[in-house]
Amino acid sequence: MRYLVIGLAAAVALAATLAAQGQAPAQGSEQERLPARLSGEFTPLAKPDIANGPVPRMPDGHPDLSGPWVGGGSNQDIEKDGGLKPGELPLLAWAKQLRDSRKEEDEPYLYCTPMSVPRTNPYPWRFVQSVTAQGLSTFYVIHENGDAGGVRKIFMDGRKHPPADDLLPTWWGHSIGRWEGDTLVIDTVGYNDKFWFDSRGTPHTTQLHTIERWTRTNFGTLVNEFTLDDPGALQHPVQLKFTARVQPPGSELMEFICAENNQYGVAADIPNIYREKGYGLEVQPPAQK
Amino acid sequence: MTPMLRMLPVALACMCAAAPARAHHSFAVEYDKAKPVEGTGVLSKVDWTNPHMRIYVDCTDDKGVVTTWNLELGSPNSVLRRGWKPSDLRPGQKVSFKGYGGRKVLTRAAADVLTLADGRSFTGASGAPDANADQYGVGAGVPIP
Repeated sequence: MRYLVIGLAAAVALAATLAAQGQAPAQGSEQERLPARLSGEFTPLAKPDIANGPVPRMPDGHPDLSGPWVGGGSNQDIEKDGGLKPGELPLLAWAKQLRDSRKEEDEPYLYCTPMSVPRTNPYPWRFVQSVTAQGLSTFYVIHENGDAGGVRKIFMDGRKHPPADDLLPTWWGHSIGRWEGDTLVIDTVGYNDKFWFDSRGTPHTTQLHTIERWTRTNFGTLVNEFTLDDPGALQHPVQLKFTARVQPPGSELMEFICAENNQYGVAADIPNIYREKGYGLEVQPPAQK
Repeated sequence: MTPMLRMLPVALACMCAAAPARAHHSFAVEYDKAKPVEGTGVLSKVDWTNPHMRIYVDCTDDKGVVTTWNLELGSPNSVLRRGWKPSDLRPGQKVSFKGYGGRKVLTRAAADVLTLADGRSFTGASGAPDANADQYGVGAGVPIP
């Protein structure tokens, strides 16, 4: 309590000091321009009167999925974020043990590596269509914050995945997409095992296979029905659901260069455990049957 | 008048709140809610850098000893989206701050309240638990609706 009193006194003294020094008060317009509360991480969303509006459509009749969107994936705990109850994610014993041993402070993401699928953070992202003379060729997924310079490509030209033996595992894997009615379906394989689904440390293997079914249900809502399949880490495939919200009309992605000035860990003396051993599973998964 | 420094290593009033949507890292990994700090000094450097903004504040105590605080804010994009502009934070300005010290390095703190000399201020800059969000969005202490 004593300290609180001192704190209040300090605040009053500060105000008096600043006033005595003749600081010019802010212009009225300035006061209005700057909100009273400024959260560290903040992305505005479209308000309900706009969000409840109809689905906008592209000239070809398909829903416009461009966004910008916020959310629509896992972040803190894929099990909970995806709508499962505690313990329902059917992790194999080794994977559960690894998840429970991982520490949030060691997330690869904190060192500016890509979030990958299905993760999202409180920053906006877009689906961006690339159309060539042959028609729709590719969807790109661009996250303002969390791609670490990598851009996810989803091939829409009808190609298949390369043979598994020919795929070098990568952060974003190999994605092919198609429209099923108004739903964009994305099938992805070829992931590496270096990213975490969440800050809880839920692991996966290079056998990860994801199927996303993205459906815009109104102006402001994009639902991601997500099939998580990984015979190396899960007992069986599992169905999750995430929901993205649209930003107010006129919003745009901003620049974010993660590695510019990353001082993560210094204030708490957290060692970078990846400097020597690199990213990837800390244990060897048991051999498959 | 010499800028003053007050450091209050004491638990403040109940910070009971839902954790805000997690961004680059969670508050608790690096910063300690049990180490509230505050000070008044001169902005010596403003880094509009990623993944987090940082401002450096030189605080001089009664004996003339200067302590430079390295204060972490959110990302520049978040700060800009809340309406702040580069012209609002200029080196040489007098500012006061409240925040939470680093778990190992107290002067590497998360700024939670920043008050400019003209009285304008913001709170919640650190990502510390903050239930008083008054804007419609993600990351302000409210879950995605």
